[in-house]
Amino acid sequence: MNELLQQIFNGLTIGSVYTLVALGLTVVFGILGIAHFAHGSLAMFGGYLTFVFSTSMGLSFFTSIAMAMPVGAVMGMLIERLAYRPVRDAPHINAFIIALGLTMMLEGGNLLLFGADQVIIQTPYQQVFDFGGIFVAQLRMVVIVTAVTLVAVVTILLLKTKTGKSVRAVAQNRHAAVLMGVNVNFVSSVVFGISSALGVAAGALIGALLALAPGVGESFAVKGFAVLILGGLGSLPGAILGGLVLGVSESLAAGFLSSAYKDVISFLIMILVLLVMPQGLMGKK
Amino acid sequence: MRRLFTNPLMFSFAVVAVALALPHAFKSPYYIHLMTLALIWIVLAQGQNLTQGFVGYVSIAQAGFMGIGAYISTLLTMNYGFSVWATLVIAPLLTGLLAIVAGYPSLRVKGHYFSIVTLAYNMVIFIVLMTFRALTGGEAGIPDVPRPSELILFGNVFSFEGRSNLNYYALALLAAVLATTCCALVLHSRAGRVMLAIRQNEDLAEAIGVVTSRYKLFAFVMSSILAGLAGTLYAHYIGFLNPEPFGVDQSLNIILAVILGGSGTLTGPIVGAVSVTFLPELLRFADSFRLITYGLILVMATIFLPKGLVPLVASCWRWLRSSQPIARHNKPTSKA
Repeated sequence: MNELLQQIFNGLTIGSVYTLVALGLTVVFGILGIAHFAHGSLAMFGGYLTFVFSTSMGLSFFTSIAMAMPVGAVMGMLIERLAYRPVRDAPHINAFIIALGLTMMLEGGNLLLFGADQVIIQTPYQQVFDFGGIFVAQLRMVVIVTAVTLVAVVTILLLKTKTGKSVRAVAQNRHAAVLMGVNVNFVSSVVFGISSALGVAAGALIGALLALAPGVGESFAVKGFAVLILGGLGSLPGAILGGLVLGVSESLAAGFLSSAYKDVISFLIMILVLLVMPQGLMGKK
Repeated sequence: MRRLFTNPLMFSFAVVAVALALPHAFKSPYYIHLMTLALIWIVLAQGQNLTQGFVGYVSIAQAGFMGIGAYISTLLTMNYGFSVWATLVIAPLLTGLLAIVAGYPSLRVKGHYFSIVTLAYNMVIFIVLMTFRALTGGEAGIPDVPRPSELILFGNVFSFEGRSNLNYYALALLAAVLATTCCALVLHSRAGRVMLAIRQNEDLAEAIGVVTSRYKLFAFVMSSILAGLAGTLYAHYIGFLNPEPFGVDQSLNIILAVILGGSGTLTGPIVGAVSVTFLPELLRFADSFRLITYGLILVMATIFLPKGLVPLVASCWRWLRSSQPIARHNKPTSKA
């Protein structure tokens, strides 16, 4: 029983990171219809940047994240302006191929700048608490709290501010939004900025919790899309629920079946959901 | 001379004749090696073009299915005593069988999500090849994969041993011609027309009464069979098999080949496959920038050259012949 609870807790930790990745993807997809596959590699870039800030400049973990997030946001805006906007009116497949090209460029850039060795971001949160047999690492709690805070901030931004309202307007009906005087170019930039900043934070959390290495970004992007498929496309609660479900099921699979095949099992779950309920857990029919 | 370029059949014969003559022109074994690889890549790219170019569904699992073909063939020949000639047929068919199982759920989602699911497939295939050591040897791989046995035709003995073997080059050429012919036949059949219709407007095709899922599955399975064939040829040519060439980045390279050459055309994948095989040689001076350069080419090609090299050259050729403004023949459209 204890082991079950332990694995569920571990799964919730990694699941909160998945949610963070998926939130960035779902915002971009919902508003611009772009499957922004390079998101994972940009997140890794942010993770590496956080690592550099915290080791070579001696900044604290959260200061480093706070410094890396704007850099990521600017990169995301540049990507939107230079790569995605030229193909906005072309078939969607073109934007996806561009996303693949950007992934190659970002992965190549990460390799060139930060090397091929695995990197772990050191944090001061090394304590472990014992709650009646369940071991809760302080770092994991920090990760969950950070993820929850960021998700809450973005949700409030989207629901309560004027910019958030225009973002949602574009998501509902682009043409109508343009007619109402919403600046779609501005909205696109904002959305990419927010999404990329979230990605950077996720990358830093991954770097502290697991490790940064070449290829990790791609696998997190796939997990992020798996979360979207699980939760239902373009649904914010779906992204949250999907992330937690994926994290917990993966963690249970690693604990009770096989840790080498945990990714295989999580992809199988995604394919099963596709077969049984293609609209996802929280998606609109 | 003019008919050489206007009659597709004559043109294909000319291309094959040039391909047969090339190794005799370049005697360097290294170029023969590269050209053999390029021919294997043509098989791969023609398969990718079926889904990406004809149906408009970008699959990111082509390298994975290539790996499946390669491993099936290698294991059958090395563990069960099959002849390579037999596995050249069996392995692609088994790969196709697997693609039926894999394609059915993935084709329930449209557009990007199909791509993501196929990407997950490629990751699963890669993980299994890496982790299932008892069968695949894991990262250390399988050494000494055999070449096909000698072939005796009309009293002549054809051996396939040795690096940069001309007979193996001819075998790969045969496979490339076969793959291209298959794709040409599909393109000009009813199925091919339906595939193009799906690319242009899937909802409309469905509304007219076409069971689109059947045609999408057909394209996906056939594409995987070609990938399996390419994998089989690759494994028995290189002689050493490990999971490394079957990762996601290789699938991205195949997509690049199809985009660069011209997706939805028959000559495009050929041009693209040859370019992608020889590109690393041209970019050797910048090896550490290889990924960045490939990515940049992919992005730039999609923005500025969405139809690929072949349609560009073709419209230039028409322009030269007619000496009329290019705009009359090649009106800019947003369709890719």
